[in-house]
Amino acid sequence: MGAGGARYLAGRLLTSLLIVFGAMLLLFALSALVPGDPAATLLGPQATPEFAARFVREMGLDRPLHERLWLFLSNVLTGNLGVDVLSGRPVAGLVLSVLPSTVILTFSAIGLAVLAGVPLGIFAATHRGSVADNVLAILSVAFIAVPSFVVAILLLLVFSLWLDWLPVLGGGDASDPIDQAKRLILPALALALGWIGFIARLVRSSMLEVMAEPYIRTARAYGLPERIVTYKYALKNACIPTLAILGLGIGRLLGGAVLVEIVFARPGLGRLIYDAISVRNFPVVQGSVLVVVVLFVVVNLLVDLSYAAIDPRLRDQGRGGAAR
Amino acid sequence: MDDPLLRIRGLTMTARTARGPARILSDIHLDIGRGRILGVVGESGSGKSSLASCLLRLLPPNLERLEGSVDLAGTDLLSLPEPAMAALRGTRIAMVFQDPMSALNPVFTIGTQMVDVARRRAPGLTRAQALAKAEAMLARVAIPDPRARLAAYPHQLSGGMRQRVVIAMALLAEPELLLADEPTTALDATVEAQIVALLDDLRRDIAGSIVLISHHLGLVAQLCDDLCVMYAGTVVETGPTAAVLAAPAHPYTRALLACEIEAGDEGRLASIPGEVPDPVAPAQGCVFAPRCARAEPRCHAEPPLLRDIAPGRRAACHFPGAVP
Ligand SMILES: Nc1ncnc2c1ncn2[C@@H]1O[C@H](COP(=O)(O)OP(=O)(O)OP(=O)(O)O)[C@@H](O)[C@H]1O
Ligand SMILES: [Mg+2]
Repeated sequence: MGAGGARYLAGRLLTSLLIVFGAMLLLFALSALVPGDPAATLLGPQATPEFAARFVREMGLDRPLHERLWLFLSNVLTGNLGVDVLSGRPVAGLVLSVLPSTVILTFSAIGLAVLAGVPLGIFAATHRGSVADNVLAILSVAFIAVPSFVVAILLLLVFSLWLDWLPVLGGGDASDPIDQAKRLILPALALALGWIGFIARLVRSSMLEVMAEPYIRTARAYGLPERIVTYKYALKNACIPTLAILGLGIGRLLGGAVLVEIVFARPGLGRLIYDAISVRNFPVVQGSVLVVVVLFVVVNLLVDLSYAAIDPRLRDQGRGGAAR
Repeated sequence: MDDPLLRIRGLTMTARTARGPARILSDIHLDIGRGRILGVVGESGSGKSSLASCLLRLLPPNLERLEGSVDLAGTDLLSLPEPAMAALRGTRIAMVFQDPMSALNPVFTIGTQMVDVARRRAPGLTRAQALAKAEAMLARVAIPDPRARLAAYPHQLSGGMRQRVVIAMALLAEPELLLADEPTTALDATVEAQIVALLDDLRRDIAGSIVLISHHLGLVAQLCDDLCVMYAGTVVETGPTAAVLAAPAHPYTRALLACEIEAGDEGRLASIPGEVPDPVAPAQGCVFAPRCARAEPRCHAEPPLLRDIAPGRRAACHFPGAVP
């Protein structure tokens, strides 16, 4: 990667940092601008006045806004995400303990979606108009239309309750990777199914577009085998729009993970946020949402980098004209 | 011509369009002699590129009808099964496409693309050998620092450079029949002269035949043994270049020549009064009659056949000019 590549990387990094910073400001505003007495909002009506007063002091809620903002930002930067109101445990620890479970779930879902969706999309494009193409089209749209938590419930009913092939609920025994893997299958599938359909459609349309390009005609004019024309010359070009949309979809995938984790009673960020919201455990909500944002930004950064790895024109962006 | 390399008989191609079937090529009769360069000239839209694509049997997706025969040294290309046709592409026939900007794949280096073509032609080559061959070929089309260019992506090269890469690629295929569609349009006069010299050399080297499609009558006059004038998807005049240019028999050829002389040395085909006929609504009689100054009632009623008017010369006109 040359100077253009370095500039591209620096630009992407800066954007990512700005997004994280913006998210931090928003999250702070959310907690600071809750109308009414913050202690009452956070602790609920049952809290005793003494406890509320101590809480206000400990959380720094009695200080001026700019001091609180500064405190919040510097805390976050040193890895201090605040303290769980109910248990008194640090939020960072809570989040870290469930983070791997969510990361593994979302990444296996993406992996599954790519492994199944890309070949299906290529097949549909190279067999355009065939019966298989039409069946795939209907299935894809159906997969995309059904929300992942509905798929989750169906899978749970069929494979766990009726057929009893796979364990039902929970993340599995921490010391037993095989048990954990078994318990990953259904949630990952539930999360991936819509994405398989989506990626298949996306790859199909990008492939069809690319196959009509003059450079594909060139490859054919030289008699290159259809296998090389499709999987080498066309696929790499078709990956570019697919990747771009995939990056944006990560946010929705993380959102879907929340519901799937709840259905399968899996530990994870989704469950953590859900539980925290239902008892108004504000610091935990704040901390875990921030981590989700960072996760989203990091994944997008990776997508952008792979994007540049595929498309040399991006790496040269901003560099002067072509060589003579 | 006693034993031509390529013998085209009654080649007709129509395509479906929103307005109905379009007649893109109609009843083409043409021979291409062994080791000869045939220049194909005609206004934009006269079907020159379509004819070249037909010879490679790279047909448009909206093809409706393809009739006639294209005989390459005893093999009818139009009735050949697809795998056998694919086997000829890049080995016995190769094509330089009209637009060098889009003819190269944007996400692969020049080297990768040339290596694939070289190894398709000579499957035994190692990558290193193929690269060396590609480098030599780039040097041959006067690309400075060819080794560095092999690592470049198409967008990093200027239009003229890309044009030369595309020509070098065709030369790698060492074809019996080279189809060059406007190979010098993107080049300035100096480079154009180099390419012309190169094509001339090439003919001596590989004893192959070349079809040179060009707007530039001057270039054709300098380089081509034979001339084929196309109009509205059909051949209106053929013959040895010098003889045709000295005494054009078809009024359209005369009009083309007049345009060229008017425009001077730099001249490409300037416009001839009137419009090229609509391929969807072909004329009743002679295709050129609506624009012909000498058209008589018979010309509007009855299409003239391409017929011998002198040894080696043919024209499709009821009233051809006097030929010595
Ligand atoms: N697939 C197609 N469907 C419909 N019309 C077509 C198709 N391909 C070519 N044509 C039409 O056929 C005519 C001939 O096109 P072609 O590209 O062969 O001309 P050309 O002589 O190469 O022109 P130019 O000098 O501009 O390259 C044009 O009118 C074009 O619009
Ligand atoms: Mg053309």
